[in-house]
Amino acid sequence: MALLGKDVAKQVKDILSEMEDEVMILFFYSEDESMCEYCSTIDQLLSELTELSNKLHVKKVDVNGDPGAMERHGVEMIPALVPIPKDGKDRGVRFYGIPAGHEFSTFLQDIMIFSKQAKPQLSEESVEKLLKVDKPIDIKVFVTTTCPYCPRAVLTAHQIAMTNEKIRASMVEANEFMDLSAKFGVSSVPHIVINEQHMFIGAYPEKDFVNEVLKALEV
Amino acid sequence: MVFFDVGSAKSELKNYYDVVVIGGGPAGLTAAIYARQSGLSVLVLEKDLEGGYMNLTESIENYPGFTSIRGEELGVKMVEHATHFGAHLYTDGAERIEVSKDEKLVHLESGKKVHAKVVIVAAGSKPKQLGVPGEGEFRARGVSYCATCDGHFFKDGHVVVVGGGNSAFDESLFLSKMVKKVTIVHILEKPTADARLREKVESNEKIEYRPLTELVRIEGDDRVKQVVLKNLRTNEEYTMEVDGVFIFVGMTPNSQILEGLAEFDQWGYVITDENMETKTAGIFAVGDIRSKNLRQIITAASDGAIAAFTAAHKYFE
Repeated sequence: MALLGKDVAKQVKDILSEMEDEVMILFFYSEDESMCEYCSTIDQLLSELTELSNKLHVKKVDVNGDPGAMERHGVEMIPALVPIPKDGKDRGVRFYGIPAGHEFSTFLQDIMIFSKQAKPQLSEESVEKLLKVDKPIDIKVFVTTTCPYCPRAVLTAHQIAMTNEKIRASMVEANEFMDLSAKFGVSSVPHIVINEQHMFIGAYPEKDFVNEVLKALEV
Repeated sequence: MVFFDVGSAKSELKNYYDVVVIGGGPAGLTAAIYARQSGLSVLVLEKDLEGGYMNLTESIENYPGFTSIRGEELGVKMVEHATHFGAHLYTDGAERIEVSKDEKLVHLESGKKVHAKVVIVAAGSKPKQLGVPGEGEFRARGVSYCATCDGHFFKDGHVVVVGGGNSAFDESLFLSKMVKKVTIVHILEKPTADARLREKVESNEKIEYRPLTELVRIEGDDRVKQVVLKNLRTNEEYTMEVDGVFIFVGMTPNSQILEGLAEFDQWGYVITDENMETKTAGIFAVGDIRSKNLRQIITAASDGAIAAFTAAHKYFE
């Protein structure tokens, strides 16, 4: 049975019809269900999506078949989705876990941004501040797929990553990565962890989010 | 259950709209539908998720046409309805409204600016804090204001829900599906929740309702471990071990953006005339943000319709 209902598929097709350039999604997976409960669901979701647009492509990377792949691509765990724009450059955007529920809209919005030169829609002031970041920054946004405040936090983090190659930003579906969630004491989402140390809770407006990133640099 | 929310795909913002609606809940979306049907160009700004607060409601059973519908599903339907008629939905917050002689300039959180002839503020309300010791300290370490978001983290645990209104009861029913036990504490004898919700809570074996009980303090180490409760009949204090605290003690309006542009009642809700217009010509306030007796999805929708209708006739004919 299809994951996307008829109505949803139609809406997605409409949205994707406005893609300008091609976008590639790298999908890091394992056939082993004990390693990746949702891999087969994500696989199905991606194949349904690629049928809705000829500009959207998926490249599957079997982490058992290619053990070095995760390290090479800077992927920490599976399942992982890494969208790549036309120029082939990794922009530091990651989805760990299934982008379902409200996070599906984030996934679609990322695809749309990537299809338009991966140009983040942040204010000039934010971009200017972020371009000065010269040390590696890792942002993890813990979410649940039922959280309505989470997509904004993920999308902001992803756009922050797009501005500067030193910055990487990941959505982490908290239920799928329980151990990691427990490690950072996640019990209310969105829960944002920067460089494994600096944390804050909630969907902050863009400029406050950017300020938190800069604060984390000072630690 | 797996579901897929399409949300609003980003698109380019225009420089001018006849009507800018701030807030994408039922009030804002209905205003957008009516304004579009009057032929006006409409932008709806939503900073979180279109549909607004109803996204957090487990089931809605008092919106005509739907015997029972999940809040998030009704939200999606309203979004589809508004976009079907050509409203432009955009993810951003509004920070400030600048009023000049002939138009309004809306400053967005992202730094962008949009010109409009009419602004309809439908910014809704947000959960109130209880104001007890430990609430801030344990925020996001066991204290939550959103069962839909955070309920999963308390699987098989014991949570206390504070409040006796519709939100407290609805969210308790939702939590009971995943946690081991829910204890509702309420300072009054009788809950203020609807009879229908009260019956559901009464017949739910996992939920216990403790009337005349005040939550005095939240305690723990790195996470919530217990709460101190007070029996208001005997004034006795006692502790109860819990894994989480969910607080639903009413709402507070997001009316800051109208400071200086509108009058407010003593609770901060916006005062309008019967056509939803504030004291500033061309600025309307609709939905939960407005001073009124009944805050429901249906009354929010009604406000939105009246505001858009009035705006169309008063400013565009």
